[in-house]
Amino acid sequence: MSDPDVISTGAPGATAADAASAGAAPTAKRRRQVPEIAALLVVLIALGVFFSITSEFFLNYDNFVNILTAAAVTGIIAAPATMLLIAGQFDLSVGSAAAFCGAVLASLALHNDIYFSVLIAVLAGLGIGMVNGFFVTVVGINALITTLGTLAVFRGLTQVVTDGQTMAIDRFGGLGTSRPLFDIPLPVYIFVGIAVAFWFLSRYTVFGRSMYAIGANPVAARLNGIRSGRTIFVGFLLSGLCVAIGGLILASQLGAASPQAASGMELSVVTAVILGGASLAGGRGAIAGTMVGLLIIGTLNNGLVLLNVSSFWQTVAQGALLIFAVSFDQLRIRLTSN
Amino acid sequence: MTDPFLLQARAIRKSFGGVEVLHGVDLDATGGSVLALLGENGAGKSTLVRILAGDHAPDSGEIVIDGEAHKALDPIAARALGVRMIFQELSDAPALTVAENISLGRWPGGRGLVRWKAVRERAVRALDELGVDIDPDAPVSTLRIGERQAVEIARAISDRARCLILDEPTAALSAQEVERLFAAVRRLRDRGTALIYITHRLDEVVEIADRVQVLRDGSVVLERDVAGTTRGELVSAMVGHAVGDVARPSDGGAAVADEPILAFSGAGSDGAFADVDLEVRPGEVVALYGKLGSGTAEVAETAFGLRQLDDGACTLKGEPHAPGSPERAIAAGVGLVPADRQREGTFMVRSVAENISVPSWKRLARHGILRRGNEARAYRRWHDELSIRSRNDPEQLISTLSGGNQQKVVLGRWLERESDVLVLIEPTRGVDVGARMEIYRVIRKLAADGMGVLVATSDYEEVVQLADRAAVMARGRIVGELGGDEITTERLTELAGG
Repeated sequence: MSDPDVISTGAPGATAADAASAGAAPTAKRRRQVPEIAALLVVLIALGVFFSITSEFFLNYDNFVNILTAAAVTGIIAAPATMLLIAGQFDLSVGSAAAFCGAVLASLALHNDIYFSVLIAVLAGLGIGMVNGFFVTVVGINALITTLGTLAVFRGLTQVVTDGQTMAIDRFGGLGTSRPLFDIPLPVYIFVGIAVAFWFLSRYTVFGRSMYAIGANPVAARLNGIRSGRTIFVGFLLSGLCVAIGGLILASQLGAASPQAASGMELSVVTAVILGGASLAGGRGAIAGTMVGLLIIGTLNNGLVLLNVSSFWQTVAQGALLIFAVSFDQLRIRLTSN
Repeated sequence: MTDPFLLQARAIRKSFGGVEVLHGVDLDATGGSVLALLGENGAGKSTLVRILAGDHAPDSGEIVIDGEAHKALDPIAARALGVRMIFQELSDAPALTVAENISLGRWPGGRGLVRWKAVRERAVRALDELGVDIDPDAPVSTLRIGERQAVEIARAISDRARCLILDEPTAALSAQEVERLFAAVRRLRDRGTALIYITHRLDEVVEIADRVQVLRDGSVVLERDVAGTTRGELVSAMVGHAVGDVARPSDGGAAVADEPILAFSGAGSDGAFADVDLEVRPGEVVALYGKLGSGTAEVAETAFGLRQLDDGACTLKGEPHAPGSPERAIAAGVGLVPADRQREGTFMVRSVAENISVPSWKRLARHGILRRGNEARAYRRWHDELSIRSRNDPEQLISTLSGGNQQKVVLGRWLERESDVLVLIEPTRGVDVGARMEIYRVIRKLAADGMGVLVATSDYEEVVQLADRAAVMARGRIVGELGGDEITTERLTELAGG
């Protein structure tokens, strides 16, 4: 009764200390969820304290808004990525896809209405999600390989569309730069809205809970009537949608579509998701954790900039953080599977 | 002429976790002879041969090979002495060729280089000795299961195996493949190899073995030449006194409707089963009993949409039933308790509440939004009703429950789903005896509440304790049906063994 078209997950079993997302009885939920999120918050606060001491520019309102603004686009994309990883899937094409959507917008906006161009750019993002979803769920290729391929394809197509040049977009600054409330840029509000939507989706809908079941045990999910392929396909579609939103925001902030936009975004996204407690083995993870992971990365980057550390070293720090997060996940899998 | 090879186990004792599973067992394997090791699941056969192959160390006793006594062997020492075991689960490298597999880990050559010509010659020689016609250059992944087994045997003989242990080698083979395996076994015997052949199929003992040794509950209960031994003697040796201890369900004859809820007529699925006629009525537990590989699990899978029928028909509540997928089978009112709880049954990293409500999510949700209170209520209800031993916390992870209680959660799933028919495959595999009785009680209760229950099992005691009726399968066909008090361990074993 084995099922060849599902990837078998790693070690089953876990301890009571895990961040089980499900929660009916609030007391039980808190008992289990606190430790993991708390550990992340301690790291975040420790970083904050460290940078407050070492840099006089860190501890003020404007800088916090800077951190949030810098994290917004990554966060918008990390929300669906969390759901995908919960189901045991990856989307590495996010950075290229965001750049591609921006390029589509820029090239159409030259001769068309801006709203029409935005619509087509969003459809492009959904299309990329469909392509990824098709190859993963219908053809049955491993998500890592599929999206590694589409990562290259859409980075290349972005360069084709822009002819390798940065393309200016006129009168499209509002999405990325307007500050509707409390002097906080609009992307931060969009980010918070999407995070809340995915938090609800993952915890309180059949769709979101099916993602957990598929990640926890793909064979059992099928034997319990869950349509795994369709669910994962929708997951990739949502990723495509959020990637398009992210790409448009980047283009708006820059006032242009750059062929190099959002390059390396997949690294930040995967780091945030895994740092936030989603397991590579699938079946575990939470949007809240990802958001804290994201703030840790954002704070680290911001602090390093304030300390005049070169951007080369920031890349080193981010890669190291990813390896640290994955090692922690492996350790947890080993500890909990006896 | 040298003396034939002789392997003797003397007074082997072995305990696992404080429970002794071998109580001072002797065994003699002689070169040029096939010894059949017969016994039911849990009789200690596997433990005994694993000790001979060096996988386990005995607590006491000794293994004498070529007149030299060993307190214990490790796998490398056992190999060096010529003792090799072919496991049921093949341990080959499917991506490599036959020749590469035969030389795996023993590459001819030197200084880190491989002499490919020698690899091929060695393979040709070993396959020839075995009398099988397999292309040494073919990737193992392209071979059929029986051929892959032959390659493993060839690997053992090319490594100068003098005692070959075969663990239920025919479990996954077709009739033709079995013939070929027997031919190879005879050839090896005639060349002076000692063979230990583990099985629970009586006909194979008669056909292939020279001597037979029966183990029951960790002791040797019979040891003699096959010639002159009747099947009846073997059956009663295997089953022993345990017969009287297995009680029939006391609530037999519950209200059973006349119309079957699930029925197969002339059903067949290529390569798995044929001509299956079977009816399950609401309120009764029907067992489909047969040895592993006899087709019982495959019939059960058909009812759940995991396998298609090629012949005949299947009906559910009088309507044609060909679900095609588990999702549709569940929607039609069928539930499945799969054989491998860990791999197929449970979501180990998720909570008990989720595990019990998964197939009912659509009903518990409104507009796709799940009300968690409903889930927790569902769990609490079945927690009491099925006496699941846990903290009674819906958020408790299922992995923290014992195997028997995990299985109750899996059963509870279909109660919550209000399924009409429940199909179970090996429902108490890996469940300890105490919990087993509770699970039987739960299954009887499901039937008493009006469910139709079909249990595919290879455990005859389970059939006796659980079933209102039993159909016995062998090699993909139903070979007999028993009802009520006809269901005894002797009758079941006799029918299935033939």
